[in-house]
Amino acid sequence: MNTSTVQIILLIIHLLFFIYAFFAIGSYVILAIISTIETKEYMKKNSFVNYKEIMSSTISPSISIIAPAYNESLNIIENVRSLLSSHYVNYDVFIINDGSKDDSLEKLIKAYDLVKVDFLINQQIPTKPIRAGVFKSTNPAFEKLTVVDKENGGKADALNMGLNISNNNYVACIDVDCLLLENALQKMIKPFLEVTEETVIATGGVIRIANSCIIKDGKLLDVNFPKKWIVQAQILEYLRAFLLGRMAWSRLNGLLVISGAFGLFNKKIAIEVGGYDTNTVGEDMEIIVRLRRHMEEQKLKYKVAYIPDPLCWTEAPDNYKIFISQRNRWTRGTIETLRKHRKIAFNSKYKSLGLLSYPYWLFFERLAPVIEVIGIIYFVILMALNEVRWDYTVAFTVLAYLFAVLFSIVAIFSEELTFHQYKKKGTGFKLIVISILEPFVLHPFILYAAIRGNMDYYFNKKKKWGEMTRKGMAKAKKNN
Amino acid sequence: MESYQYLIDYFENSPTIIKVVWVASSIFIIIIILLVIYLKYLRGHLRKNEKIVTKHQKEYESYLISYLYAGNEEEEISEEQQAIIDKLKSCAVDEFKRRIIVSTLLRLRNEISGEMAEAIQKLYFQSGLISYALSQLKSKKWYIVAKGIRELTQFHVKEVHDEIVNFVNHPKKEIRKEVQLYLVTLFHFEGLKFLDVLQTHLSEWDQIQLLEVLQHFENQELPNIKPWLKSTNDSVVTFALKLAKIYNQFEAKDAIMQLLAHQQKVIRVDAINALSHLQVVEAKDILKNNFDKLSLEEQITFFKLLENMYETSDEPFLLDHVTHINFEIKLSALKTLKILNIEKFKSLNEISDEPDYVKIFNFIEHN
Amino acid sequence: MSDAKKIVLAEDNSTLSRLLKFRLEKEGYKLLIAADGKEAIELIEQHNPDIILTDIMMPFISGLEVISHVRNKLKRDTPIIVFSAAGQEENIIKAFNLGANDFMGKPFSPNELVIRVKRLLR
Repeated sequence: MNTSTVQIILLIIHLLFFIYAFFAIGSYVILAIISTIETKEYMKKNSFVNYKEIMSSTISPSISIIAPAYNESLNIIENVRSLLSSHYVNYDVFIINDGSKDDSLEKLIKAYDLVKVDFLINQQIPTKPIRAGVFKSTNPAFEKLTVVDKENGGKADALNMGLNISNNNYVACIDVDCLLLENALQKMIKPFLEVTEETVIATGGVIRIANSCIIKDGKLLDVNFPKKWIVQAQILEYLRAFLLGRMAWSRLNGLLVISGAFGLFNKKIAIEVGGYDTNTVGEDMEIIVRLRRHMEEQKLKYKVAYIPDPLCWTEAPDNYKIFISQRNRWTRGTIETLRKHRKIAFNSKYKSLGLLSYPYWLFFERLAPVIEVIGIIYFVILMALNEVRWDYTVAFTVLAYLFAVLFSIVAIFSEELTFHQYKKKGTGFKLIVISILEPFVLHPFILYAAIRGNMDYYFNKKKKWGEMTRKGMAKAKKNN
Repeated sequence: MESYQYLIDYFENSPTIIKVVWVASSIFIIIIILLVIYLKYLRGHLRKNEKIVTKHQKEYESYLISYLYAGNEEEEISEEQQAIIDKLKSCAVDEFKRRIIVSTLLRLRNEISGEMAEAIQKLYFQSGLISYALSQLKSKKWYIVAKGIRELTQFHVKEVHDEIVNFVNHPKKEIRKEVQLYLVTLFHFEGLKFLDVLQTHLSEWDQIQLLEVLQHFENQELPNIKPWLKSTNDSVVTFALKLAKIYNQFEAKDAIMQLLAHQQKVIRVDAINALSHLQVVEAKDILKNNFDKLSLEEQITFFKLLENMYETSDEPFLLDHVTHINFEIKLSALKTLKILNIEKFKSLNEISDEPDYVKIFNFIEHN
Repeated sequence: MSDAKKIVLAEDNSTLSRLLKFRLEKEGYKLLIAADGKEAIELIEQHNPDIILTDIMMPFISGLEVISHVRNKLKRDTPIIVFSAAGQEENIIKAFNLGANDFMGKPFSPNELVIRVKRLLR
């Protein structure tokens, strides 16, 4: 081959990588700026809000908390207790025991004085059938609780059963081991009630990482910064994603995902679109895309809202194996959702959903790891051919690394100036250290997990949810 | 030294783009170092602030409590009290301290009632704190105005009513909300007059807050809500319907029945709910005759109304709809029929083998 | 001095508790203040007060748990008055079921509280 042709080809390839990187970085910066503006406004508006009235009002809308549970025997009693102690007035709790093979149901029956009852379910969404039955408590203190034991069908199927069985107007879909703060419901319901022209179809909240935090009797007593790097890095990642990313998408009304750990939905509309999809591992993202699509097709004004206040604390994976499994699943979920809804891609009929959100997710979330790996392979080939321009490589790599660190530090600042959850001495220093280490300690594993996810999606159809061994959150010591 | 020279040479000889990249990197490093230093300072500052705030809080608490117990029978304001008033006046000049003083006063004011509460109020006036809130009303920044109105609400300052009323239709919704709360908290049902002139939409959130505030008052005498039921502002109509329900405004039943033909479906549904709550029998026939033209939601709501207000004369209507395609209507009809005429209900056992019907029938039979 | 009746007050609003302390000490009582349920239980166990005043909504351990602890675990029948914010009727009922003697809804008059304390200590 002609050397100049080779040079041109190389140049084009480099240019393409460069353009991609430029747009990626540009979009991060723009999103960060919009997020900051939106967060500032939110903090200002929120300094006025009085949640006291809403929580004790009998006219406030009714909410059903739906918590699917699978083999959660270790913590289920405590988790349910925490869900029952919310300060909202008009709500009830449905625990959907999704065909657990352990003694979750027995434990619950004993702890909460449950008896089997006759229950009429309007099967608006098809689900797997009831197994042991529907149970309610004989103790009036636990009047809000209903436990449903059904045959195993997966998280999406369990949530659908919850949608069928609830008699309230709003449903909060939550992971059963998520610690819900006492005022979470009133904060999450606010967007639904505040809007005037649009309909809010769903609200999402921030998920905070509970590892190393002291939790007793379902109450968050103390916030600690965890010791393991892998968990610290995830906290940093969440801060970036929530404070510098999702706030912006919320403002642009382009949020494509609400964390599966905690989301509040308009029940009627969720049932209208057919509930959760049981054929995907990314059901939390898929339902949001489908809800948005439905509203666009109906030409109705709508919004997916987002609350940046810490409302829900959950345990993050603390070893690499489980972490990779989780990110693998997230990757497959993203691919499945994007493929299922590819009709909206670049389709002006779907406005910002099709022209902004979908393309962004496609290029910078779904394809990013693939492009990164292609880049690495390309680099290795260049090395083998001795074509590497080391001065360029070193310069750009250093720049990229510094950008990543800077971005993380900006996220830390954002957190300090808003919710300031990590108050203890020395945490600031630890946060800086993990910002410096994260590209080495977490990112490679995210990349690896994403590639595995891609490969599993295309070549290994049998994989499903995987397991997350429950460790149990740290308990308060009896005598300090 | 040599390596230093080498680096400079290297830099000078590099292509422009690499120069730019290294310069950018250096800028990033500098920014990072500055941010790290600032972060340390910031965290220390926030921590220190918390300590200062706590210290001041205790100080002002002491003043407040001493003030409350330093009164005597003879004078309106004792010497000791005057000394405290003067001290607070001088502290209030500083915004940071002023905020703590106000929040301390409020922390107590919200928890107690009676002569103590009035004394705190007097202190708010005497120490001059009120003048700061008043000046906030003139600010150009919306959140400062809103804060000012809120403070005046919390300290029950009725005197500024006329100034605040000017903000009723302010473009910023946070300000409108504070105005509404001011009017209702201080002037109770009289304060609701703003509904006559409200042009903007009153959100559900706002409505709930106002209703909750109203419920706390002893004297529950409602003004005439009929004009509000006829308002062109749909949210005012919705709010009036809520008032009708909560305060059992049976006198308004004709106006509510007129709403059954309102443009907006939500209002029609709300109206049916209100009529059900008020047990307005005349509404039944109107809705029955119109039933097939109603939207599904209205139909479901009507059946809920029948559950509440059934009579024997409703039996044929219920029978007609026992096998209605909608689950909730079937449920409602069968439930009501069972109470009304259990023999008739039992005879409906086999009339349909649609799975939902069978399920519902069996459930009602056994519960 | 040892004749003075002891009161344990559990209230997380420091301004309010200081005010009540001042008021009640003027009447000759000895006040022990706790800022949360945990502290309250410690003080109760240590000092065996003649009457307990507790707020219902407190961080960590609620007033209800304090009442339950005193009646069921310590098995004492010390008079207990609970305070509660508006809209907490459910909690008030629970408090009485657990063994509280009286309740005062917030906002309340400190003078009224003194009257009720005196009544329960007669």
